[in-house]
Amino acid sequence: MSAASPTLNTAPEAADDNVMLKLLNVESAYGPIKAIRGVSLQVRQGEIATVLGSNGAGKTTILKTISGIIDPRKGSIEFKGQSITAQDPAFIVQRGLMHVPEGREVFPLLSIRDNLLMGAYTRNDRDGVARDMEAVYNYFPILRERAAQDAGLLSGGQQQMLAISRALMASPDLILLDEPSLGLSPKLTKEIFEIVVRINRERGTTILLVEQNANMALNASDYGYVLENGRIVMEDTCARLREKEDIKEFYLGMKEEGVRADRRWKKKKTWR
Amino acid sequence: MSQLWDTSGIAPQKSIVMAGETIPAIFWNAVAARGPNVWMRQKDFGIWRSWTWNETAQAVREIGHGLMALGFEARHTSSILSNTNIEWVLCDLAVLSAGGVSNGIYPTDAAEQVHYLCEDSGTRVLFVENDEQLDKALAVRDTLPLLQKIVVFDMDGLRDFHDPMVISLKQLQDLGREHAQQHPDMLMHRTAACKPEDLAILVYTSGTTGKPKGGMHSHHGLVYTVRGYNTLIARDERDECMCFLPLCHIAERMGGEFFSMYTGAKLNFVENPETVPENVREIAPTVFTAVPRVWEKFYSGVMIALKEAGGLQQAVYGWSIGVGQQVADLVLAQKPVPASLKLRFHVARLLALNNVRKMIGIHRARFLVTGAAPISPDLVRWYLALGLPMLEVWGMTETCGAATGVPADRIKPGSIGPAADYNEMRLDPVTSEILVRGPNVFMGYLNLPEKTAETIDADGWLHTGDVGVVDEEGFFRITDRMKDIIITAGGKNITPSELENELKFSPYVTDAVVIGDKRPYLTVIIMIDQENVEKYAQDNDVPFSNYASLTHSTEVQELIQAEVDRVNKKFARVEQIKKFWLLDTQLSAEDEELTPTMKLKRKLVEKKYTPQIEAMYR
Repeated sequence: MSAASPTLNTAPEAADDNVMLKLLNVESAYGPIKAIRGVSLQVRQGEIATVLGSNGAGKTTILKTISGIIDPRKGSIEFKGQSITAQDPAFIVQRGLMHVPEGREVFPLLSIRDNLLMGAYTRNDRDGVARDMEAVYNYFPILRERAAQDAGLLSGGQQQMLAISRALMASPDLILLDEPSLGLSPKLTKEIFEIVVRINRERGTTILLVEQNANMALNASDYGYVLENGRIVMEDTCARLREKEDIKEFYLGMKEEGVRADRRWKKKKTWR
Repeated sequence: MSQLWDTSGIAPQKSIVMAGETIPAIFWNAVAARGPNVWMRQKDFGIWRSWTWNETAQAVREIGHGLMALGFEARHTSSILSNTNIEWVLCDLAVLSAGGVSNGIYPTDAAEQVHYLCEDSGTRVLFVENDEQLDKALAVRDTLPLLQKIVVFDMDGLRDFHDPMVISLKQLQDLGREHAQQHPDMLMHRTAACKPEDLAILVYTSGTTGKPKGGMHSHHGLVYTVRGYNTLIARDERDECMCFLPLCHIAERMGGEFFSMYTGAKLNFVENPETVPENVREIAPTVFTAVPRVWEKFYSGVMIALKEAGGLQQAVYGWSIGVGQQVADLVLAQKPVPASLKLRFHVARLLALNNVRKMIGIHRARFLVTGAAPISPDLVRWYLALGLPMLEVWGMTETCGAATGVPADRIKPGSIGPAADYNEMRLDPVTSEILVRGPNVFMGYLNLPEKTAETIDADGWLHTGDVGVVDEEGFFRITDRMKDIIITAGGKNITPSELENELKFSPYVTDAVVIGDKRPYLTVIIMIDQENVEKYAQDNDVPFSNYASLTHSTEVQELIQAEVDRVNKKFARVEQIKKFWLLDTQLSAEDEELTPTMKLKRKLVEKKYTPQIEAMYR
């Protein structure tokens, strides 16, 4: 069995120069309610990693804890070899980590261009900003077309594009992407994911993606973690995750044919 | 309220409380005597619903007649594949009332096992809980020529499913009502025709070794034993019991269903195995029988809550439990408890211990009963310190459940107590195997006369397979299982269960299998307690993601090594465990490695993990 399912050991001594982001035993809570109960994970440079989980599993809390919006109760977070545990969000952004929040959160009364410039707020290399602006417009031509309009007038999908672009404008090493598919049509979701993968491949930007749309996330990502009730229950390469029984049944909605045509009862999760 | 130092309030009674020489005879007598009283409770959409004896009788009558309408004859077998619920009891009593043989199947069994048990028992009617269990039956029914009907309790999700072989329990009851009109006395005739020596129930051993064997119990054996239980453990009509262990296991079938039927104690069914703690708190049972695993869970729940409590609360608990332990120590040493200590204990109860009991749901409990697996003496002492006598019973399928029991006024942690009044017990002079004789000993294994002859000798002594010792007071202690004795390459006889039990007393170890037959030294395969080890890892900043990485982490390896070292200290050098391997897959009762009672199957584990075992000898 150990041969069939090799698992990555996330022990700290397994030092990997490639690791860009490392969480060790992170616990975060909202008042008395523990949202994540000890999460250890790592994201390697240049990869797209994903955290899958249902509503309330603690996915967003992980991202908020990484970007400094919430301070963890316990545990440590390391980014590019330095601790960013409980640091000020602004400091973390300057270190090269951008957070694309759930539900876009663009500035509705600013123009698209100004929104993008807000992303570049911490930079002072005008040439670079101009170059990145051009790059962003190439990824999402619609933003160029409507550059002068207020961001609030954009559709949901376009706002998502803008939010991702705004993050890119900081020229980050790592982007935390919180549910880009939220409220989008399947077609738009697919487009956004394609561009996310392109950004990763072309610019080498590392991405930590949190998603409920397991199918999309598993196809786009290299490595995946499954989060349940604030704890990671499974991790593997996405190619292998897609083959796991429990992932098929509970995340991809694929069921084996039973003796009867349909089945109401659920299998129990075993996470192996 | 009973006190540790005065257990007269929980002394069992010796008289027969309900007449009847067969199980259905007792049931129908009990219905006549207790008609409008409540017997059972089960939650229905979140509200506890009561079943009186009369309501129960009505349902049993309908199901019994329904079975006869299907052509179910006396001595035919019916099996029940369901979690523990009221329908289980209704169908069981209906089958027995119709003169049939009733067999239970674990709801966690896979389709192949269901097939084996139905085939071996010659099942004609199979009761299944819901669509999940139905699927198992449908998958194997083509190769079960005797099977006539499958009856489903819960039809949710089956509205559009139609099959001539499958009917709902409601349809069966409708059939029964019609049948009862045409043949009003037939069920009572069947019950009356039922003889004490007739086969009543089959209880399949969970089988840590080989295929399950069907233990046969006659009505006489069951009735005799249930009366015996009443002389061993106090229970009466005022008592509230929980019913949550699998009913196909002898412990809940006898100690829950039949014992309560006999005494009139109320049975409260849990919603499902996951809601046991909540349901216990809601009911607050007055007598409570459970397995060590449950007692351990309650204990670790309290410990976890305590860790998160404030300093004052911890201090108050510490003082209170200390007082409780002083009382417990004196009671265990059979010394009088001084009045000042009694007073302090009273304060301790008011300050903390009553709240701890309330948190678990045992604040009304007169006493606790533990059995079916060895329990840590320290755990028994902890419950004693809360002011609750914990009585250990020992027995097996073949002895119809309990054959020994610790008396309330002489608790000896680590001992299983003296032989119950209703059976004889002795040690085999050569092997020290515990032997039991009495009417409670089973009739034998179904279809396995040679196995039966191996188990019950010519003089009627049952060879239990447990090796033990007995002290001057007649109290027995189990030291090992016969079959499991290991002879190392050095020629040393080792009793693995002694080591395994010591390991299992660790909060971090759920089960262990010691290896070493014909090997230079001993090794062990350990299944960790996921919850407690995860907690340990999180408290000590041990990073882990999934179960496998948890078991592989250095710190967890060291933690278990410390547990192994602790156990090793108690044994001679040649009996010490040199290496261990942690099972890195999370197992559930559905897995072949575990019995339905969550014990590791030695033979299977040894075979399946041969490479890992070999690695420990390299």
